[in-house]
Amino acid sequence: MTEPATTSQIDDAGLAEAFARYFMDNTPGAADVTITHLTRIHGGASRQTYSIDLTYSADGKRVSKDLILRRDPPDSLIDTERRIEFAAIRSMAEIDIPAPEALFLETGHEALGAPFFVMGRINGGVPLNPFRIDDIEPHRRSIGEQFFSHLGAIAGVAVEGSPLTAEVESPALDACWQRELSYWSNEIRTKARRPEPIAEAAIRFLNANPPPPAQRLSIVHGDFRSGNFLHDEAGTINAVLDWEMAHIGDPYEDLAWATDPLWCAGDTERAAGLLAWSEAIAVWQEASGCRFDPSAFEWWSIFAHVKAIGIWISSARAFAEGKNDDPILAWSGWFTHAAHELTIASRLAPKFGLELPV
Amino acid sequence: MSEIGMILDRIGRSLVADVVPHLEGHYAGGQAMLTGIMTVMAGEAWDGAADRLHREIEAMRAVLREGGVAADETAASLRLSDLEPTRNRFAERLITLQTRLETSTDPADFALNTRIWGLLLAGAAERMPTPPEFPETEPD
Repeated sequence: MTEPATTSQIDDAGLAEAFARYFMDNTPGAADVTITHLTRIHGGASRQTYSIDLTYSADGKRVSKDLILRRDPPDSLIDTERRIEFAAIRSMAEIDIPAPEALFLETGHEALGAPFFVMGRINGGVPLNPFRIDDIEPHRRSIGEQFFSHLGAIAGVAVEGSPLTAEVESPALDACWQRELSYWSNEIRTKARRPEPIAEAAIRFLNANPPPPAQRLSIVHGDFRSGNFLHDEAGTINAVLDWEMAHIGDPYEDLAWATDPLWCAGDTERAAGLLAWSEAIAVWQEASGCRFDPSAFEWWSIFAHVKAIGIWISSARAFAEGKNDDPILAWSGWFTHAAHELTIASRLAPKFGLELPV
Repeated sequence: MSEIGMILDRIGRSLVADVVPHLEGHYAGGQAMLTGIMTVMAGEAWDGAADRLHREIEAMRAVLREGGVAADETAASLRLSDLEPTRNRFAERLITLQTRLETSTDPADFALNTRIWGLLLAGAAERMPTPPEFPETEPD
């Protein structure tokens, strides 16, 4: 019994009907499924994201569910497997990290026309815009402590036996950097629409100056940053989102990505625009069990810029080829690509003798 | 501001200020906002695009020649569609030249590579667009 509402709260009646049918077929005892709200959420171009309210009957009672549906688009910012995201979220079950509840996973196209997965929706949370970090006041310190504590806690999760290990390979401690650099170098070289001298120079530099081996193998979130968590506007992070790039690797990868200057509007005084660097590192060390090594961080932070360039180049190609018309892909291929080129050039040029103006 | 730059600037600002408020809560609102922001940015970039590419090509030509790499061809016109392929050909050669210089122990090669980095840094700074200032509009 699918009765999607016909008001403007239903963005896509066909999708609502198909989803109600899927939900009923995959929820034991559920009947009379009614979707009262289905709207597409802007952003997160790696998936088509919908917020769904539904009710259904079970055991003689009416039950309400607030859900998030993440469906694959024709093309996305990042080429990932939804089963990895699903497994990564489930791998967090053992720690106290606010991740959404992973509910359904479909890898086929039959139910909704594309692979998808469904999570419980965390209500009462808002994202922190990387371009407006100051909006977090007066809760900057509290949010900052949780941000680095959660980041460290993810790094501290036991890899062995976690659901993610069944989905992805575990590299050797001294091979984490090479695997990631190879992957993103290949992304850049196969998807760039023009020569990339700055990215190529950075790749050469990173290959010639490898980091120390990983101190431990960790679950790497892959995109932990401002914009990818929700907070309650009262000082609490209530959801860590976007696990689609999760993998097993060096925990420094996440620390460097989370503190990339793009995600904090270039705030150099505070890590991620949230906490003084010394405090952020202390919180991360405590939660992760890792020891901060400046030479490892230096390598992984330059790598983070290269990885970003790889993502922006993929976005630009998808947009240029008409696979996805979402303007966020054009923005990524233009503004954020330019921002990371400038960041890389500013960091590497002095290493090759260029004196920067003070 | 050029005539075309002015038009793009006005269209983009109108999209953000006049259209987006009517789309609040809809997916299209986010699309329209970002489109408006980038339209304003395109208006600014439009005016200087050919000049920037021309100067980038000439700067690359100088360092390529200094490094003994042929760089004689010129773009057929000042159209962006002619300048970009020339710039890309030179950039490809620059990557090869820089890779060679990095393995050299000759101080002259090190000095040339330093100059190339100056060129790369200046080019990156010039390509960096200025996001327009709209309250509450930056993409997330």
